Amino acid sequence: MPASEVKEDCFRLPQNLTVRAITNVQQEILQFLDKTASTTIELDDDCQVDISFIQLLEAARIYAGTAGKHIALARPASGPTLDVLKRSGFLEGMSAEDLKFWLHQGGIQ
Amino acid sequence: MSFPDPIAVFRTEAAELLEQIEAGLLDLNVNLGDKDQVDAVFRGLHTLKGSGAMFGFDALAAFTHHCETAFDRVRKGEVPATRELVTAVLEAKDHMRALVDTPNGDHEATGEALLANLRAAVDGANNPGTGVFAKAAPGQNHFKIRFSLPQNAMANGTNPLPLLDELRELGECEIVADRSAIPSLELLAPTDLYVSWEVELLTTQPRSAIDDVFIFVMDEMQLDVTTVEPAPAARTPAKTQAPAAETLPAAVPQVVAAAPAAQPAPAATALVDAKQKKASENVRVPAEKLDELMDRVGELVIAQSRLSQLAGGSGDLQLRAVSEDVERLSGELRDTMMVLRMVPVTQLFGRFRRLVHDLAHETGKTIELVTEGETTEVDKSVIERLADPLVHLVRNSCDHGLETPEERRAAGKPEAGHILLSARQQAGEVIITIKDDGRGINKERVRAKAESSGLIAPNANLTDQELYQLIFQPGFSTAQTVTNLSGRGVGMDVVKRTIDALRGTINVTSHVGKGSEISLAIPLTLAIIDGLLVRVGDGRYVIPLSAVEECLELPIEEDMRSRGRSFISLRDSLVPFLRLRDLFRTGTKPDPFQKVVVISTGSERVGLVVDQIIGDHQTVIKGMSKLHHDVATFSGATILGDGDVALILDVGHLVAEGQQQEAHLRAAG
Repeated sequence: MPASEVKEDCFRLPQNLTVRAITNVQQEILQFLDKTASTTIELDDDCQVDISFIQLLEAARIYAGTAGKHIALARPASGPTLDVLKRSGFLEGMSAEDLKFWLHQGGIQ
Repeated sequence: MSFPDPIAVFRTEAAELLEQIEAGLLDLNVNLGDKDQVDAVFRGLHTLKGSGAMFGFDALAAFTHHCETAFDRVRKGEVPATRELVTAVLEAKDHMRALVDTPNGDHEATGEALLANLRAAVDGANNPGTGVFAKAAPGQNHFKIRFSLPQNAMANGTNPLPLLDELRELGECEIVADRSAIPSLELLAPTDLYVSWEVELLTTQPRSAIDDVFIFVMDEMQLDVTTVEPAPAARTPAKTQAPAAETLPAAVPQVVAAAPAAQPAPAATALVDAKQKKASENVRVPAEKLDELMDRVGELVIAQSRLSQLAGGSGDLQLRAVSEDVERLSGELRDTMMVLRMVPVTQLFGRFRRLVHDLAHETGKTIELVTEGETTEVDKSVIERLADPLVHLVRNSCDHGLETPEERRAAGKPEAGHILLSARQQAGEVIITIKDDGRGINKERVRAKAESSGLIAPNANLTDQELYQLIFQPGFSTAQTVTNLSGRGVGMDVVKRTIDALRGTINVTSHVGKGSEISLAIPLTLAIIDGLLVRVGDGRYVIPLSAVEECLELPIEEDMRSRGRSFISLRDSLVPFLRLRDLFRTGTKPDPFQKVVVISTGSERVGLVVDQIIGDHQTVIKGMSKLHHDVATFSGATILGDGDVALILDVGHLVAEGQQQEAHLRAAG
């Protein structure tokens, strides 16, 4: 039973977003993206995150872009997600599109 | 017979040469006065250039020529070896690799930039004193670091974040993640690492401090560190670079012309000869070729078995003699093949140093990892499949097994927890042990959890071993807190599944407050074994010979007497036995002179009653079909000489069943 919750185009991810659980998360996001034209990802404030998740969302952005779909975060990255973005050097050199996706900067989602 | 593709052969050789060049450059970086290393790098570059030109890799030959020329000047004492020069050639080496891999790629711009660096480095070496860091204050070093970890780093437990944190601790640091290799979601292997990093670091620490950060993954990663020199006020203008450019000619024809002049000195030649002789004693063979050869040997063994059977039924003595020769030779061939596939577990254990280091950091515990028996050799396919289960077990020991320093102090233990990872061979098996001196497994909690989740009936009568085996059930975790390391009950069932698939067994011992020990007993090989062929009813079965202790007859009176209790007396000790005829429900009458094959795993023994012992048999192991993968009594099947299939008995399972029977009978009094 996946821990993710689905309501309309909003997809709430489970708490564990680390390498140990990331394979399931990939499958769930893929299935959801295939079903909807626009996906909003919801993250828990206290979720567990590592680089595998950041990498996964980047891959999801590429997938959505190629398939002509829209993907966004429900809220700007904060807490553990923002911490991993900072520590892993993802924040440096972000493009305007990246800033918009991760931090909701420079435009409305 | 197929001949190897010469281009593929060149690429393999080039990869080895590039590794040698890199190793030489890194050694030279430590001791810039090491003339042997200068010679070694020069020779590597010279050979690469020559081979490249011979195989049509002209761009590679032309580019390598510049580096060779630079090192020739160092060799002749015209310019000193400097770290800047070493760094420039290291970067150039990566470019050479790209030129080998994709000779028709668009490499021109990168190549030009690298050659400019190389010229600047040679210039700088020629004019010492011009190098001053632009940004760096006196006493500070300015490094540009580019690194990528192995693709399976995260899956193997290496978290890049602590490494980046450690780099930050060295000084002023800017870290940029390179995401360009991340594929689209459907192509992503989510546990693989696609990100690499570029780091700019201003530090008072030496270059070696950067190496220290990556010390545990150094062997498997790509790390390029460049010392940044500022643009000095009197930076060589374009015009004044011309002479340097002349000393580093770019035209391909000169590449070939320069080659004959590059003859090593006599002493160096002797060294080269010795090294080449040593190298020629080893041959690198792709792993799949070994697997292919193993399959062929397996088929040969089956054919030999058929030949032996035909010869045995024939009165032709010459045929029998030839058959015996073929049997001996195929046995020797099999043994040689086995040795070729063996690799030391040191490869496997090496990665756990980094894992434990990271886990200690994440959990705030002090953990010392000790490894033993690293030279123990195991079939390469076994090694590959053992990595994941061991990661889970070591993680579990670190996270749940070992206490925090405060808890350990309170318990009168040393602050640092110990984990012992050891390997040894024992009767056709390798025993891998993970032992910690932590809190041990709480049996009551395991029982309570198992009862509450319906795995066992309330107050079920279980031995300690049976109780401990419950921790390998899917979703079973007694951890009170779930951490990002473990505690979700995911992992231990993976361990069990993998070890089962390897035809291995897991043994757990634990003492509350003293620690736990998990031993994995895995067959040394998964391909061919010596077996004892037996008959039970109308069927034939193979018992792995390495597990057979002895064979004896079961007299009728003993058979009758032992009905209902199934024990035989063997040199003053009672050994439980299983009647395979009953177990397999053959529905046949027992032979008048039944035999008992006593098998063991470690100190536990059990007898197997069979109708007939046919003899030894070289057994080529074939996997069971998916339909039969739940049948625990058998670990595989083999094809006999007459084309019939014989099932291979799972010794670990049978011994466990026999011991269980013994425990129940003892409990029943």
